[in-house]
Amino acid sequence: MKKRARSRADEIIDRADASLLEIVDHVLNKGVMLQGEVMLGVAGVDLIYLRLNALLCAADRLLPTRTGK
Amino acid sequence: MIGLYAIVQGAPLEAVGARGEPLRIFRRGALEAMCGEEPPPLSAEALRAHEAAVRRIADAAQACLPARFGACAADDASLSAALGEREAELAEALLLVRGREQMTLRVHGAPKASLPAGSGPGTRYLEERRQASQIPALGPLRSALSGVVRAERVEHHGEPGLLASVYHLIDRGTSGRYRELVEATALDGLRVTLTGPWPAWSFTPELGP
Repeated sequence: MKKRARSRADEIIDRADASLLEIVDHVLNKGVMLQGEVMLGVAGVDLIYLRLNALLCAADRLLPTRTGK
Repeated sequence: MIGLYAIVQGAPLEAVGARGEPLRIFRRGALEAMCGEEPPPLSAEALRAHEAAVRRIADAAQACLPARFGACAADDASLSAALGEREAELAEALLLVRGREQMTLRVHGAPKASLPAGSGPGTRYLEERRQASQIPALGPLRSALSGVVRAERVEHHGEPGLLASVYHLIDRGTSGRYRELVEATALDGLRVTLTGPWPAWSFTPELGP
C-alpha cells in the first residue's frame, strides 16, 4: 500500500486537493503530511482525517498546556 | 483556554479569528500574540479557516509568525511563560520575516549522484548523502532567484518522487517576479511545483516542548 501511494504521489499533488495538502503541510507542520503514505489519503478525503487525528497530538504540544495528557 | 493565531509586530486592531471571533492582543515585551477562542476539533474546514485567519493577520501586520493549528494556552499566565521562554528567538524571527512572505517549492525527481571513479562503498554513501542534501540540480534555480530570496529553508523528505520542500522568504509584493523566475528556469531531471505567497509558516520557531 505504501509503495502504491508513493508511485501516485506526483499525480495526486497536481490535483485540486493539492491546495488542501499545502494548507495541511503549512498549518500542521514539518512536511510529514507530504510523505508517501499520506498522499493516498489526499485523494479520498476521509482517509486524511485518520492521519490528521494521529498528528493532532503534535499540534497540541505547540504550547505546553496539555502536558500530561 | 486561549487559541493562538500568530505572534506579530504591528498587530491589526480589529482582526477576527477562524470563527469570526474578535481577536485580543496579548503583549509581552515586544511580542504581540493574537489570541482567540479555543481551537475547534480538527477538520479540513477548520484548517482552512485557521489558515485564512492567519493570512488576514499576516496581511495587516508588519511582521507575523503564524501559530500552527491547535496552538493554545490554558490562560494568560501560561501564555506569558511560553512566550517568555522564547522571547529572544521570537524577536529575531520577527525581524527576519518583517515585510516578507513565503514561497513554497516542492521538488520532485530522482536524486542524480555523480560519484568519483573507483570510490568505495563508504565514500559512495557519504557522497550520495551530501548530494542528496544539497540537491545540486537546484543550482540554476538558486542562481536565478538570488536577487529576490532573502532566506531559504530546505526540508528533505527522503521519499522517492518527492525529494524536498524548499521554503523561500521574499519581500512582500515580489511573488510575481519570483514566479516568473521559477517558470523560466530549466532544471535537469527535476520538476518543481510552486505555491504562494504564504505567511512565513516555515520561518517560525516552534513553541512548546
